[in-house]
Amino acid sequence: MRAEEILSLFPEESRDRWREVAKQAKRLQEIRIRAGMPLSILLDNREYFLDMQGRVVDGPEEAARPAPEELEDMLGHLCRYSIYAFADEIRQGFLTVRGGHRVGLAGQVILDGEGRIKNMKYIRYLNIRIAHQIRGAADALMPCLYEEGRLVSTLLVSPPGGGKTTMLRDIIRQASEGTVYGPGVNVSVVDERSEIAGSYLGVSQNDVGIRTDVLDGCPKVEGMMRLIRSMAPQVLAVDEVGSLADAQALQMAGGCGCRLLATIHGGSFEEVRQKKYMRYVMEQGLFERYVILDRRQGACRIVEIYDREGKPCTRR
Amino acid sequence: MYKAVGVLCILAGCAGWGHSLAGQERERVRHLRVLSQMMGQIGSEISYGKHTMPEICLLLEGLNDECYSECFGRIYRRTAKESGTGFPKVWEEELGKCMEPFPLREDEKRTVAELAKSLRFREEGGQARRVGQAEAFLEGRYRQAEESCENKSKMIHSVSILTGLLLAILLL
Repeated sequence: MRAEEILSLFPEESRDRWREVAKQAKRLQEIRIRAGMPLSILLDNREYFLDMQGRVVDGPEEAARPAPEELEDMLGHLCRYSIYAFADEIRQGFLTVRGGHRVGLAGQVILDGEGRIKNMKYIRYLNIRIAHQIRGAADALMPCLYEEGRLVSTLLVSPPGGGKTTMLRDIIRQASEGTVYGPGVNVSVVDERSEIAGSYLGVSQNDVGIRTDVLDGCPKVEGMMRLIRSMAPQVLAVDEVGSLADAQALQMAGGCGCRLLATIHGGSFEEVRQKKYMRYVMEQGLFERYVILDRRQGACRIVEIYDREGKPCTRR
Repeated sequence: MYKAVGVLCILAGCAGWGHSLAGQERERVRHLRVLSQMMGQIGSEISYGKHTMPEICLLLEGLNDECYSECFGRIYRRTAKESGTGFPKVWEEELGKCMEPFPLREDEKRTVAELAKSLRFREEGGQARRVGQAEAFLEGRYRQAEESCENKSKMIHSVSILTGLLLAILLL
């Protein structure tokens, strides 16, 4: 990732302050900007602060404290001075920007007559999560995901922050491009929260492969059926299955002959089996592989792989 | 003989001056028409297409009058390169430069050049309404100018010829 990409997140007036941070783009994980509060960044899992001159300092005492107007300017810049065009994203509380980076937003929400979030005002907290696509993250896993040259339906399981989405993105890329284990196939992705492809103005910012179609910002249930009808995918991928409706939609998609790639929160195979909405899906043998992941020392690790019967897979 | 040639030259000069003034008025009408149509297009791209302003500039580059087309192309390229310069500033600079030689009134130029400063609405309806106000202003000016243009140009032509005659008499 280039330093210019990080700098491009900021309006011209404040770029000088961010030059030093941008040079460390590879180590940078997060930038937190809160109105009237110290500017903080996360470098290699450690929190630092930024002073008025843009120097990285250890403590918050010397840190710069941005005014609310600076956040408004930054929001305008991130939205290409067309905030109305990003109203849906703002309502959901995040924006995906060029480079696939995600900007979390918090402020005061505006509710409609039925108590639903209509919009957000006084946005005073920004959390920029820097995207780092890890090519080859799924290299160790790929041999286990193919049977007779064909990708099998796979469910990735890990606690939040365990690397599910990183792994899923790389599996999608490799399945789409083709590997030594099987040819490239058409993959469709329902990217409800723009986390897989990181689409910005409709263009995928992460490499998800040459045969991949992305339906960005669409709810999973609706998106899966829509893609099956319109794009005829051989593989369908979704992130974070979390409800009965999601599980039912997966079942329908599986019934249409698509192979599925999905992720779910969970610490173990047993924990997933305990989830009511997943029980039927698992009994039906919809997924042929269950991959349990966790994060150790900052890196994603494969803990175990199970087959459709829940037996540890021997092909590792 | 020299006097007759001199009188003819004065008359031709004054008629030409009058013609140029009338042409400026016709040019103003044309610019007002183009600008008000452009505002209408921006409004509909905001409300129906939900495009961002730089994208709208790219669309306008392909559709409009040559002089504005180049200007919108420059705005798109300058903002799409993510130089960090704010869109309102680029818009004002480029359109200000583009409209400088045009025979538009100051408030008409200002309405267009300062439009981008008011692009802070959080939903497309409000934003499109703001652009609609600028469109209504320019449309009103266009109607007025179009109505008065013919009479004005006749008057300018007559006054210029009369001025020429008067000058010729005085000089003789």
